[in-house]
Amino acid sequence: MRICLKHLGMVVAAVASVVLTAHTASAESTLDKILSAKKIRVAIDVANPPFGILDKSGQPDGSDVAVARQIAKDLGAEIEFVQVPSTGRIPALLAGRADVTIASISVTTDRAKAVMYCNPNGALSITIFAPQSVKIKTPADLVGKRIGITRATLEEATVPKMAPEGTKIVWFDDLASTVQALLSGQVDAAAMTAFAEKTVADANPAKQLENKLLVTTAFYGPIVRPGDFELRQWINTWIFINSRNGTLATIYKKYTGIDLPPLPTI
Amino acid sequence: MHYAFHFNVVWDHWRDLAEGAWLTIELSAIAMTIGLVLATVCAYGKAAGPSAIRWAIATYVEIIRNTPFLVQIFIIYFSLPALGISVGANEAAIAAMVVNFGAYGTEILRAGIESIPHGQIDAAKAIGLSRLQTFRHVVLFPAVKTIFPALASQFILLMLASSVVSAISAVELTAATNSLVSTTFRPFEFYFVATGLYLMMALAFRAALGGVFWMVFMRGQQV
Repeated sequence: MRICLKHLGMVVAAVASVVLTAHTASAESTLDKILSAKKIRVAIDVANPPFGILDKSGQPDGSDVAVARQIAKDLGAEIEFVQVPSTGRIPALLAGRADVTIASISVTTDRAKAVMYCNPNGALSITIFAPQSVKIKTPADLVGKRIGITRATLEEATVPKMAPEGTKIVWFDDLASTVQALLSGQVDAAAMTAFAEKTVADANPAKQLENKLLVTTAFYGPIVRPGDFELRQWINTWIFINSRNGTLATIYKKYTGIDLPPLPTI
Repeated sequence: MHYAFHFNVVWDHWRDLAEGAWLTIELSAIAMTIGLVLATVCAYGKAAGPSAIRWAIATYVEIIRNTPFLVQIFIIYFSLPALGISVGANEAAIAAMVVNFGAYGTEILRAGIESIPHGQIDAAKAIGLSRLQTFRHVVLFPAVKTIFPALASQFILLMLASSVVSAISAVELTAATNSLVSTTFRPFEFYFVATGLYLMMALAFRAALGGVFWMVFMRGQQV
């Protein structure tokens, strides 16, 4: 019943926030509220290694979490993590459960219709990932194969477009389920970030999992609610400072093991 | 915070929602039918079987009733391929729903069976009915009539619980809604509409079950 409750919670939160806050729209900005309450609520996805994970003691960790902690520290605010599945990253923000979502949300024009992106703070590649025995060399080889993807991710936005007709795309609600489907043979291959693939391949050497096809490379950044220009401007300033002083590069390298590529701005 | 509702997005995707709702109805109806048969067999076994069978059924009922449905679904979907059994998401969903309903249905039927006075069963034996005939005519029929409201509620719960099977990629109403939310970013519109659809389906199932109750138990009976 976990999912039922989650959805019920979202609907209740939606009704409550629409009803309660409809007429306070012109009050103080989200940034003002964070500064005066000395508390920032950050939506994170801890099922998305290496960006968001739970460490051995069950505490949130990962590159997104490290960035969020540093942002809160520089705001002088206490951090409250709002843990969401990948499908909840935008709804939690829109429902007002979080002030900002920092969950490696790659920049797409469709998402930008619903939320405002801050400048990118990292980059990721999506590839098709399968056991060695599965023959995939070109997109045409996907025909007839079951490809697992996770909802509300960059793979969902890109894989159906590149896969030829006849590919059987299978959707899961979170990355853990997609990975489990690949490991148990419920899908022939799965699409995910190259980093997630490394974590999965390292944990399951017997499966001989390998990268098959590059789908896309994209930049990701924090998102805020439409109209929260003050908060976006502050975060952009933070990204500017910390990409120049090396903090972002250090965090990225620590968790992904590769160098941070030069970051463009929006 | 302000949120502008755009319900026209929902109409653009009504086909996906309708297909999802139809799969929810299909999965629920199939699981209800097979699950009721399973529950009846288990209730009979628990009431009249040898002690080994009674013990096995009691174990099954307690395991299912004391573990989360989501975990049961994951175990069926992810572990069957390891045993060499290939199942699709829909088949795994139906299997999980049948196993889950079977356990609750067994307990509901047991309550009904225990409500039958023992003298009635003795009377059936006295007039020469076989054990199975006694169970069917003297025990099961009045028992089901007594517990029908509880059974109907469990059917509705099963239909609502089917929303969980989106987790194993069965594209029922919740899965269709989640996909639409993640591609259109209009969460409230789609969740509101999905809530309305679930409510309508629950009321329709309740009405249909009420019709079944009337047809089977009330029609032709003069009170």
